[in-house]
Amino acid sequence: MSFFAPFCLPFMIGAAVMFVLLAWKWGSWLWRLPEADKRLVAKGIFTRATPEAVWETVRESLLHRRIFRIDPLLGYMHMSLAFGWFLLISVGWIETVAYLGLRYVPLQGHVFFKYFATGLPHKPAFDFVMDLLLLLVLSGVALAWFKRLRSRALGMRRTTRHVAGDRVALSALWFIFPARLAAESITCALYGGGSFLTGGLGAWLAAHVGVMPLMTAETVAWWFYSSCLGIFFVALPFSRYMHIFTEIPLIFLRRYRLRSGEKQSSYDHFQVEACSRCGICIDPCQLQSVLKIDTVQSVYFLRDRRYGMLRREVADNCLLCGRCAEKCPVGIDLNTLRVNSRDALRNVPDERRYDYFQGLDRSSGEGRVGYFAGCMTLLTPRTMQSMERIFEAAGERVWWADREGGVCCGRPLKLAGETDSARRMMRYNTELFRKHGITTLVTSCPICLRVFREDYALEGIEVLHHSEYILRLIREGRLPLGRTTERLAYHDPCELGRGSGIYEAPRAVIEAVGELVEPAHTREEALCCGSSLANTAIDDGQQVALARNVAEELDATGAGAIVTACPLCKKALGRGTATEVRDLSEVVAARIRPAAGRATK
Amino acid sequence: MKKVIVIGGGAAGMQAALRLRARGVEPLVVERETETGGKLRGWHVLFPSFTPAGELLSELRRRVRESGIEVLTGATVTAIAPRRVTLSDGRCLACDAVVLATGFTLFDARIKEEYGYGIYDNVVTSADLERMFAQGRVAKADGTAPRRIAFLHCVGSRDEKVCQQHCSRVCCITGVKQAMELRRMFPAADVFNFYMDMRMFGPGYEELYREAQQRCNIHFVRGRISEASPTIDGRLQIKAEDTLTGRPLRMSVDMLVLLVGMRANDDNAALAASAGLARSASGFMAPRDLFLGRVSAPVEGIFYAGTVTAPKTLGETLDEATAAADAAAEYLKA
Repeated sequence: MSFFAPFCLPFMIGAAVMFVLLAWKWGSWLWRLPEADKRLVAKGIFTRATPEAVWETVRESLLHRRIFRIDPLLGYMHMSLAFGWFLLISVGWIETVAYLGLRYVPLQGHVFFKYFATGLPHKPAFDFVMDLLLLLVLSGVALAWFKRLRSRALGMRRTTRHVAGDRVALSALWFIFPARLAAESITCALYGGGSFLTGGLGAWLAAHVGVMPLMTAETVAWWFYSSCLGIFFVALPFSRYMHIFTEIPLIFLRRYRLRSGEKQSSYDHFQVEACSRCGICIDPCQLQSVLKIDTVQSVYFLRDRRYGMLRREVADNCLLCGRCAEKCPVGIDLNTLRVNSRDALRNVPDERRYDYFQGLDRSSGEGRVGYFAGCMTLLTPRTMQSMERIFEAAGERVWWADREGGVCCGRPLKLAGETDSARRMMRYNTELFRKHGITTLVTSCPICLRVFREDYALEGIEVLHHSEYILRLIREGRLPLGRTTERLAYHDPCELGRGSGIYEAPRAVIEAVGELVEPAHTREEALCCGSSLANTAIDDGQQVALARNVAEELDATGAGAIVTACPLCKKALGRGTATEVRDLSEVVAARIRPAAGRATK
Repeated sequence: MKKVIVIGGGAAGMQAALRLRARGVEPLVVERETETGGKLRGWHVLFPSFTPAGELLSELRRRVRESGIEVLTGATVTAIAPRRVTLSDGRCLACDAVVLATGFTLFDARIKEEYGYGIYDNVVTSADLERMFAQGRVAKADGTAPRRIAFLHCVGSRDEKVCQQHCSRVCCITGVKQAMELRRMFPAADVFNFYMDMRMFGPGYEELYREAQQRCNIHFVRGRISEASPTIDGRLQIKAEDTLTGRPLRMSVDMLVLLVGMRANDDNAALAASAGLARSASGFMAPRDLFLGRVSAPVEGIFYAGTVTAPKTLGETLDEATAAADAAAEYLKA
């Protein structure tokens, strides 16, 4: 039995080109991984991480569980295409084995088996299953067409604007399965076989169309099907569909604990090309929904970066709020990629600019607990004043790192892409903390908190956000508080919530002093205050527009005051509402019961 | 006799009412507070002549009284129309035209939290200082005399961070005037003014600025203060940049005076909405035309006087009140 017909050529060439390109891409990316990353792969490959990665691949690359969570219909669309096609291929392979036994069959023999198997006795069970699977995929294609017209029905307000290459690949993909249906049905019309779908359509064609036209149509249909496949395969490595194959190694590497960092590395390729440009990141972006900026979202950032046309206007125009990363079905570390792109675009350290750090120490006080206010808390002195009262009431001896001014934690510069300068600040502060022998470091700024936890090497020093520290004092009975019925609306700061995963501590603290109410978007879904120092592209007016939008939701709760746990959010929200905005420490300090109450405890 | 309601009984409102009366129209002044005078009541002496504000105020009040102009105090206006004014107690006052002379709102210095107003002792606003002058006693919170005083210009003016892009115009010269007054009170004290630009546009302003530098030895430093914090010995430490030498600067002072700017009146939004009037981006009322219709609203029968449209000096406000009254009288004749 020969498994060749001229129409197979487009498919065979396309598949060959695709596999060569894939092998080259994967090979070079893996080859260029930093040594440390390669060691991580070697260490992880024979651990539980591998079966876990296999299971995650099934869940995410085939079943698309995360997309189901965003919208069931959207999830079904992706699942029917990916899982349906996967099943068509794998069941198709089993089918050839069932027909021919275990023997070598070239790739095109599997793919175009219906064409080559006309002379064999039919196995109706396989015909039925294969028709069912084709129907599954076709329903996904139909939904994809429908999504072009009415994306809202699939839970998306806005969809991606695609580049020309993607459009070619997309069109080819859309035609693959209708073409397969046509080709197989015509073959069934001529030679019998098929089940309810191809068989049914084939019987109808046999009844209505003559044999000669059907013969011609068969050749045309198989050529068309094969060409669609060929075009799609050639376009795949250059288009968004690269994600199909890139997500798989990404899942494995991620399980082996590879991460993107502040400097670009080969691992980034896996993340960048795993983006399917589905556009789910567009809707959550407040720059889009409030400011109508629609060229900078993660999907466009990754696209521009991938094709080497990233401009600073795009890289810099992002709040790094993480709302999109929270929704990304591929789990791409969007913020880190943005940061290391900024690093690549403008990291030009000024060697002498920070020489004044030498020997600088403006800290005061003594204690095992250190307090780092950070630049923004110095600009919101009520917070610092409140912390002082809290420390005093709890009888804590405190070392004040920067009350008289200090050196920035480094995160603002890091987020701006000046990572080398940021490192100098981090080194300075680390040495300062070590010199004063603190064991606990408290900060009221989530921006500082995050960089202390993620980028500083502070072994032996426990880093706490003031919300966590205050909660600990309350739970240990060191901070007697009086509770009121004041309704307080809590705003989750991005760096604290999505950034550091701290949602409960500030809420528990608020509940200790008043009644907690929440805006419509809260916790993982919380909106960004708009003044994020990560965005150096938008102006004050635009920041205020974002703040008003957020404040509107907070005001709608009818709370007497808005409480947040970030000095930057506090300043930002204050610009967007007439309602009083307070830091968490302020509401606590105002409710401390007099010292007499503590003495009797 | 035709009737015009003048909303606001400050300098602009009183002057507009006087002019209307002189032109044979019956004005009714509606004032929210229990007495007329508006912001003028809080001032001690006026720039650039150091004329006591009380003199101007009592003269205006005397004229209003002697002209027999009806004044309705303690009445808050909630909505306006060319022929009707609605009060917060539900009353509707009928009229033939309206002059809006509701003035401005003082910028709330607490919004610039980094300067510590309302948090630390001895951080005061220019309005607080004026009150202290009027009471005849300026002192630190502990009752002692300040030895070093810093003025900070442009608090709540020309500051995008607090959504106040506009220049309030009068603070520069007020800063010079108040610095000179403090200098006279405390001859041994050092007085510093931190500024972005010194805008000395009015008659006698530049001369006063020169006098402050040459005769009073007041130091003018070009640079905004970034933050203030308390020191252990109860003083205030300020951080700034001297942008002329390009160097950062730290200084301990005994008193920090914030020259707070003029913000669009808080009531503008509601009044504008009630009558379909336009506001400029800064929130002040937008006049019909920037050149030929400066005292007229886009809606026929509504006129503007004073700082309801933009920050102005007292002199400009009084002139404009006259112009607004004239425009209203002409409108009623037609």
